[in-house]
Amino acid sequence: MKQKTTLWDVLVITLLVLGGLTMLVPFLWMISTSLKEPGSLFDLPIQLWPKKLHWENYREVLRVVPFGRWYLNSLIVATGLTFLNLTSGAMAGYAFARFSWRGKNPMFLLSLITLMIPAHVLIIPLFVIMSRLGWIDTYYALILPGLFDAFAIFLMRQHFLQMPKELEEAALIDGATPWQIYWKVALPLAAPALATLGTFTFLGGWNSFLWPLVATNSIEMRPLTVGLAVFNTNFSTEWTLLMAGLSLATIPPILVFLLAQRWFIRGLTLGSLKG
Amino acid sequence: MGGGVCRPHPTMRAFERFPWLFILPSLVGFLAFNAGPILLSLWISFTHWDVFQPLTLDTLLKSWAGLDNYRQMLEDPVLKKAFFNTLYYVVVAVPLEIVLALALALGLNRRFFGVKIVRTLYLLPTVTSVVAVGLLWRWVLNPYVGPVNLFLRWLGGKLEALFGALHLPVPATVHWLATQGPGWLEDPAWAMLGIIIASVWAGLGFRMLIFLAGLQNIDPTYYEAAELDGANNWQKFVHVTLPLLSPTTFLNTILALIGGFQVFGLIYVMTGGGPLDATNVLLFYLYQKAFGEFPPDMGYASAIAWLLFLILFGLTLLQWQLRKRWVLEEA
Repeated sequence: MKQKTTLWDVLVITLLVLGGLTMLVPFLWMISTSLKEPGSLFDLPIQLWPKKLHWENYREVLRVVPFGRWYLNSLIVATGLTFLNLTSGAMAGYAFARFSWRGKNPMFLLSLITLMIPAHVLIIPLFVIMSRLGWIDTYYALILPGLFDAFAIFLMRQHFLQMPKELEEAALIDGATPWQIYWKVALPLAAPALATLGTFTFLGGWNSFLWPLVATNSIEMRPLTVGLAVFNTNFSTEWTLLMAGLSLATIPPILVFLLAQRWFIRGLTLGSLKG
Repeated sequence: MGGGVCRPHPTMRAFERFPWLFILPSLVGFLAFNAGPILLSLWISFTHWDVFQPLTLDTLLKSWAGLDNYRQMLEDPVLKKAFFNTLYYVVVAVPLEIVLALALALGLNRRFFGVKIVRTLYLLPTVTSVVAVGLLWRWVLNPYVGPVNLFLRWLGGKLEALFGALHLPVPATVHWLATQGPGWLEDPAWAMLGIIIASVWAGLGFRMLIFLAGLQNIDPTYYEAAELDGANNWQKFVHVTLPLLSPTTFLNTILALIGGFQVFGLIYVMTGGGPLDATNVLLFYLYQKAFGEFPPDMGYASAIAWLLFLILFGLTLLQWQLRKRWVLEEA
């Protein structure tokens, strides 16, 4: 639509900008609080921005909670989940797209059904199984459930189906084994799908909360989300510290988002298919 | 996406020998962490199985309780409350989020200087984890020193002054706004609304993104034809945009509903289900029963999980039915 800018457009754009700035208020309030002097938060009149910046809060929060460890845990879990998910999802997707084998259709239907079972149904039995295996409070419990993901399989299958077969057939005539064809021909061609799926899975792993909350109990094994939530219940009165911790937890992901916005948006839109 | 046809080429026969190698990792994951747990969950929901007993066929059979857990749900006042709280959350939050996101997408679906920056502003909460959102809003909604109530008190003060200047009596609501304002998470009457505000703030950008993608798929010639027929902006919106956007709107609403019924993180962080169970929702109640109380009641919690599953399954079926009738055929 190419139109002249009307008064209506100006009004809409002004409202959009004002709304967008309002969206920022909670973040600004977080940063402002994180820089205030502890104990000064309830002094009247309330300061919108501290006169003297109290950076010590950041040093203090890093001293009282193992922030680095939580970050590391989240990174390990999200990376591990992404790796597992892409590896097994792409392999199975390829088998569903290119091979014909007995039991293919029933198995495809079975995976379709699991998409309808929401994750919360799995929390209790997974906890029971993981406790029996002695894996509670280990990375195994946090990462291994990513071995099967119906959504990843469907997505990769769809991608492989849309790829022309000629290159793979040429490789076959040249005497390549199916594994070589998959690894050297098909998978490199699926790189865009893998990148999008990877972004989406990584984000999901980074933000996951309920399962890590159940599957970890020592401070050291908590990922960032769970660490923060539990930190909150222990230090609920120390808002300056909590907001300093929250700034440390939210600002780096936001910076990464700003740098890689294109991938994130693709991954997020893709996520809508999964819900 | 156009559909490809899967027809094995004669020379691809060699592939037929290897599928199990490719399937194996997913199959192991499926059996161990998906199908197995689902069956176990279903079984546990029919037992009074004690989590401290060993997990053997014997203990599972001995603790068989038939429909006890499901019957218990009918008589549990807290569950009833959690169910209606969930419903309240979904019924308020989902339409609010969808309407706001649609309005935003319509506004942002135009080219102007800085449009990308404005879009990004709305997307920032989307990359913030639910836990961070919850913690942030607990502080922002603080009734005494949070910016929301600071603003409301300022607004109330201005209104009071206005009434004074007009020599009118100041209404009690305005006075209340100027001096106190809502108690938000500390007040059972306002707590759920506080959660809803935080969740809409967090989810808005994502829904907007989906709407934007849908809007950009609409063929501009439809608008040109409507303009030739002399349609104004409103008529174009009602007769072109809304019908052609219906698949997107539908998808967005269903996804928001399904997500809404599973709200957990915000509740856990912001209120812990309180005050007085005012924000206790189904998934949070399940968590409490299984992991938050002693002794844990895994049987009852599993039954709640299946109740929640039935609700979501019903929504999915409804989606299939309504899709045919409401949604304009996708091109």
